[in-house]
Amino acid sequence: MSLSRSSAIPRSALTTMAASRRSVLRGMALSGLAVGGANMLAACGGDSGGPATGSGATVKFGINEAEGSGAAYDRLKAIGDAYAKESGTKVALNAVDHNTFQESISTYLQGTPDDVFTWFAGFRMAQFAENGLITDLSDQWPIDGLNDSFKQASTAPDGKQYFVPISYYPWAVFYRKSVWEKNGWTPPETNDDFMALMDEMKGKGVTPFAFGDKDGWPAMGTFDILNMRLNGFDFHMSLMAGDEQWDGDEVKLVFDTWRKLLPYHQEDPLGRTWQEAATAMGKGECGMYLLGTFVVDALGENGDDLDFFTFPELDSSIGADALDAPIDGFCVAAAGKNQEAGKAMAKWLGSAAAADAGNDAADAPFIAANSGASTSTYSDLQKKSAEVVGAAANIAQFMDRDTNADFANTVMIPSIQDFLKNPDDIDGITASIQEQASSIFG
Amino acid sequence: MTTETPVAAPTARRATPPARKEGGVLSKRRGAVATTIMAVLALIWLFPLFWALINSFREYDYTQANGYLSFGGWTTSNYEDAWSRGNFGLHMRNSLLITIPAVLLTLWLSSMVAFVLARFSYRFNLTLLGVFLAANLLPPQALLIPVFRMFREIPLPYFMSDSGSMLNSFWALILVNTAFQMGFCTFVLSNYMKTLPHEIYESAELDGASVWRQYWQLTMPLVRPALAALATLQVTWVYNEFFWATVLIQQGDKLPVTSALNNLRGQFFTDTNLVAAGSIIVALPVLVVFFALQKQFVSGLTLGSTKG
Repeated sequence: MSLSRSSAIPRSALTTMAASRRSVLRGMALSGLAVGGANMLAACGGDSGGPATGSGATVKFGINEAEGSGAAYDRLKAIGDAYAKESGTKVALNAVDHNTFQESISTYLQGTPDDVFTWFAGFRMAQFAENGLITDLSDQWPIDGLNDSFKQASTAPDGKQYFVPISYYPWAVFYRKSVWEKNGWTPPETNDDFMALMDEMKGKGVTPFAFGDKDGWPAMGTFDILNMRLNGFDFHMSLMAGDEQWDGDEVKLVFDTWRKLLPYHQEDPLGRTWQEAATAMGKGECGMYLLGTFVVDALGENGDDLDFFTFPELDSSIGADALDAPIDGFCVAAAGKNQEAGKAMAKWLGSAAAADAGNDAADAPFIAANSGASTSTYSDLQKKSAEVVGAAANIAQFMDRDTNADFANTVMIPSIQDFLKNPDDIDGITASIQEQASSIFG
Repeated sequence: MTTETPVAAPTARRATPPARKEGGVLSKRRGAVATTIMAVLALIWLFPLFWALINSFREYDYTQANGYLSFGGWTTSNYEDAWSRGNFGLHMRNSLLITIPAVLLTLWLSSMVAFVLARFSYRFNLTLLGVFLAANLLPPQALLIPVFRMFREIPLPYFMSDSGSMLNSFWALILVNTAFQMGFCTFVLSNYMKTLPHEIYESAELDGASVWRQYWQLTMPLVRPALAALATLQVTWVYNEFFWATVLIQQGDKLPVTSALNNLRGQFFTDTNLVAAGSIIVALPVLVVFFALQKQFVSGLTLGSTKG
């Protein structure tokens, strides 16, 4: 048993280099051991004996929400229960809180992972696919109701699918309907409208943008949207992939525009969490807030008095048809013991039935990926989210999902914070990012 | 003897105050300054704890709307919520199942090593003690990957660990904690044992006590204060241990209570008052152990210090 374990799990999963010859060998070892390994496990008298799916089988389901943590957990639990009911397979739930799950994902996948686990689309999924830590699901695709853009988001650079999406949410500019009605403000269409609106807000003593970056990640959303508006979606994605220069004119333009917009933001963002910033917007001290739809969580209300618009265009030759809309979903761990059951469950998780089970269990500001999912329980915010994302031509995943995780967390978070502390040193900051980027992306 | 001591004591006491006034230990003025400094430092140190304690009794909505410098919004619901949402009953039990065996095992093994190091002269005695100490200075982070891989390769029967390996089992945490705490315990215990009079062992030897008996029935009762002091410290350290638990346990329902504190944080949203309440609940057992065994702790630390 220890033998099968040692050869089935890649030894250098922590390194980011992809050795194609080794992954081929690894694939051969995996498929060769699938038969022998199952027998050996059964001989150990473990719970892995018996049928792979259907009644009597168990599939382990790792989720990134702690038990009792509210709506997000209730949704995943309901999805697991619905699958158990429908397929007869027993679902063993392993609930770990979101941050711990994310921080220990490397040890999790190399240790004794569950068969199916919650994860994100984008570069972070692709990294695990390259390292052979997650299972190829291309034989489960296409899945009814998931369109091509979701298939694209589930595909690693090798052209195979390793991911099944369930839901997503957009990043947009949120505002209080009542405050805007009182002042007669309307969502801006053009750059001129936008600037005029912000000047008027300032004139009335309202800070146009709520802003908080104490945790480091919220300001990434601002960078993403400015980059997509100023340099276009394609440049943004290749910049994230490490194929463009961080100290080039394009990125400098982003920071320079940001520097000019900073006077319209709340001051001292590094001392404020996004929750405090959201509260300031909720109280009407700030006019609007660029964030994900989870902004309603911090306001302690159902969001009836909230509305949003996509960030207006800054360059008319580029337009405003791209936005961040992170997709959540599931992967099958390569070291999971019951691969067959994992794959079968993953396929079901992409179905409309799975999305409905989650939506019926608890409200959350997310929208189902499957086009067949019922929208009857959707709030106005969710309906509008679906509309806005549906209208977008290009969808990014958010910086920390679109690029190397080490780069996002150890380079971009401190760099953006440095910029917010000292917005005039753009040359120094971009040079330092580029230097670190070239050592990470090689 | 017994009549002499009470007589001698007053003279000694009378003799001490003048010595102090001449600037020996602490004059009155210096004492006042020292007390003030210590009081200020203690206040600075305790302030965040009090702040957390106060805010753990306040509603999040109230503090968010009025700021933390306001006054009001009192509630105890944070504690009820923290207990049920964090599932602390289960995680406290996990912590108990890890801490108690680990502390007992550490004390037992290190007292045996310490006994041999203190009572018998081998050529490698000092080297051995040095190795134990050196291991204690090694940062656990440096051993993360080797330990993780080693534990992954060690199979356990399914009735001991449902993952089939050392990962995801309490055994792993008990062993790791024992290994990392043994160095310090061995060092303290062997120093303490060296202070025991050699004559006791000579008489024991003459009376025909075996080595085991010298250890179990002679040494162990005599080092009880040191054991109690170490037990207090060890319970605190093992209970508070966070690093190995997050690395070696990946199953949510097996995490000890310190790691389970994270359960109170959401993916995006964090109710800080709730987390404060949770932290107070998690800190309570340590405080109880510490205050209950405080006497042993102090006497255990000072008893060894006065002798060579």
